[in-house]
Amino acid sequence: MDTLGVMVVDDEAGMRLGVQRALRDFTVRLPDVEGDFRFEVAQAETGEQALEAIAENPPDILLLDHKLPGISGLDVLSRLPEDEGRMLTVMITAYASLDTAITATKRGAYDFLAKPFTPDELRGVVRKAAKHLLIQRQARRLAEEKRQVRFQFISVLAHELKSPLSAVEGYLRIIRDGSAGDDPESYNHMLDRSLTRLEGMRKLILDLLDLTRIESGQKQRDIAEQDVVEIAREAVETARAGDEEKNLTIELHADGPAPLKCDRGEVEIVLNNLISNAVKYNRQDGRVDVTISRDGDTVTISVADTGIGMSPEDQDRLFREFTRIKNEKTRGILGSGLGLSIVRKLVSMYGGDIGVQSEPDVGSTFTVTLRDASEQADGGDNQQSAATADDA
Amino acid sequence: MANVLLIDDDVDLIAINSTVLKSRGHEVAVAYSAAEARRRIEESVPDAVVLDVMMETQTAGFELARELNQKHPELPILLLTGVHEATGVPFKFEPDETWLPVVEVLEKPFDPTALAEKVDDLLKRSE
Repeated sequence: MDTLGVMVVDDEAGMRLGVQRALRDFTVRLPDVEGDFRFEVAQAETGEQALEAIAENPPDILLLDHKLPGISGLDVLSRLPEDEGRMLTVMITAYASLDTAITATKRGAYDFLAKPFTPDELRGVVRKAAKHLLIQRQARRLAEEKRQVRFQFISVLAHELKSPLSAVEGYLRIIRDGSAGDDPESYNHMLDRSLTRLEGMRKLILDLLDLTRIESGQKQRDIAEQDVVEIAREAVETARAGDEEKNLTIELHADGPAPLKCDRGEVEIVLNNLISNAVKYNRQDGRVDVTISRDGDTVTISVADTGIGMSPEDQDRLFREFTRIKNEKTRGILGSGLGLSIVRKLVSMYGGDIGVQSEPDVGSTFTVTLRDASEQADGGDNQQSAATADDA
Repeated sequence: MANVLLIDDDVDLIAINSTVLKSRGHEVAVAYSAAEARRRIEESVPDAVVLDVMMETQTAGFELARELNQKHPELPILLLTGVHEATGVPFKFEPDETWLPVVEVLEKPFDPTALAEKVDDLLKRSE
C-alpha cells in the first residue's frame, strides 16, 4: 500500500491530534490510479515551522489553518515553493469568509474545510484531494511518456532520412572529384544507387504521411462494399509489372468474390505492402501466392513467399515502427521500416488481426483478417472497440 | 598502402568510402555489422579501422571501439558519427581513453576525400 504525506498546520494541539486520529486508519482506494493509499500525518504549530518542514520534506497534502500565531495561513500559501502538482493545500478556516476563500484560491489553495468539522468531513476532503493529486500525477506521467515516445520516433526518423542523403552526397562528391578512376560504368552505377536511395526516401516520406493520416483519423474514409479479390487482382498485376529482376511467379487464389465494407484505398495499402514485401525479400525465380477467402463476416488475406524468412526473435519485433530486420540476407534491401506498422494499424481499424509464420530460407506467410468497417466510424479506435463488442 | 577495415551497416556508405580509399592505393575489407567486424578482425588484424556508431544497436560502434582497444591497443580507429547532429547533445564526441578509445572522430556528413585524408593521417601516426 502506498502512503501519502499529510501535514497539518494548526496552533491548537487538539486540532492536530484530531486530524492525526481521523486519518490513522483511513485508506483511500482509487480505481483510476490503481492501488490503495494510506496517510501519514506530520504536524506544525506555526506557519514558520511549516515552511521549514515543507522545504525539507514536502507533504502531498497540506491542511493549513488560516489563523496562526505568527504569519497567517494566507502568508504561508504565497510563500510555498512553486512546484505545481507536487502538493495540494486545503485551507482550514474558522470563519469561512468569502474574502479568505477568494484570496486563498488565488494563491493556489485547492479546497476548504470550515471549522469545526467532523472526522468524516475531514476524510471526505482528504479523499477528494488525494484523488485529484494522484490523477493529476498520472496524467503528467502519461504525457511525459508520450513525449518520450514521440522524441524517440522523431530521432529514428531523422536518422532514416539522413542515411540516404549521406549516400547520395557521398556518391555526388566522388563523381564530382572523379575519384573512382576512369571507368564510366562505376559512375553510372553510383548514379543508379543515388536514384534508388532517393526513391527509398520518397517512399519513407509517403509512408510517414499514410501513417500520420491514419493515426490522426484525418483521412476521409469512403466506406463502400468492395470485392477484396478485385482489389488484390490489381495489386498482383502491379507487382508483376514491377518485378523486372527476380522473375517471380505471382499468383492470386480465390474461390469466389470476397465482399467487404471498406475504404478501397486502405485495403489497397494493406495488399500492396504485403505483396511488395513478399517480392522484395524473395529469391530469384521464387513464388508469391496471394490467397483471399471469406468465411462468415471475416475476409482473410494471406500472402506467402519463398524468400529469406526470419527467426522467431525477428518475428516478435517485426510490427514495431522502424523495425527493419538487419542481417546479411537483408543487406542492400531498402525499406522505410514503416510498412508493417501501417498495415497493423489499418487492420486494427477493421477489427482484424495480422500474423506471420516464417522459416529462415524457406519463406514467410503473412495472414491478415478484416471485418466490415462501420460506415459512421471516423477513427480507428472507435471501430476497433465496436468490432470487439461484436465479438463478445 | 595499408589494409583498412570499413565497418558500416549502409551498403552505399561502404561503397563510397571504399572507393576513395582504394583510389589511394589501400586494400579495403568490409564488415556490415559489429559482429561481422569481430569475426574479420579475429581472422586478420587490419592496419586501421573506420567504424560507424549506429549499427545493430544505437551504440554498437562505441562498444566495439572499447573492445578493440582492449584486445588490440595499437590498432588505430577512426569513428564516424552522426550522433551529435541527430541528438543535439551539447557537446561533440572526442576521443577519450576510457569511454571512447579512438584516434579520431569524424562528424557526419563529411566529404569522402576528408575521410581518406584522415585515414592517411591515422596510418602515418601509427607507423
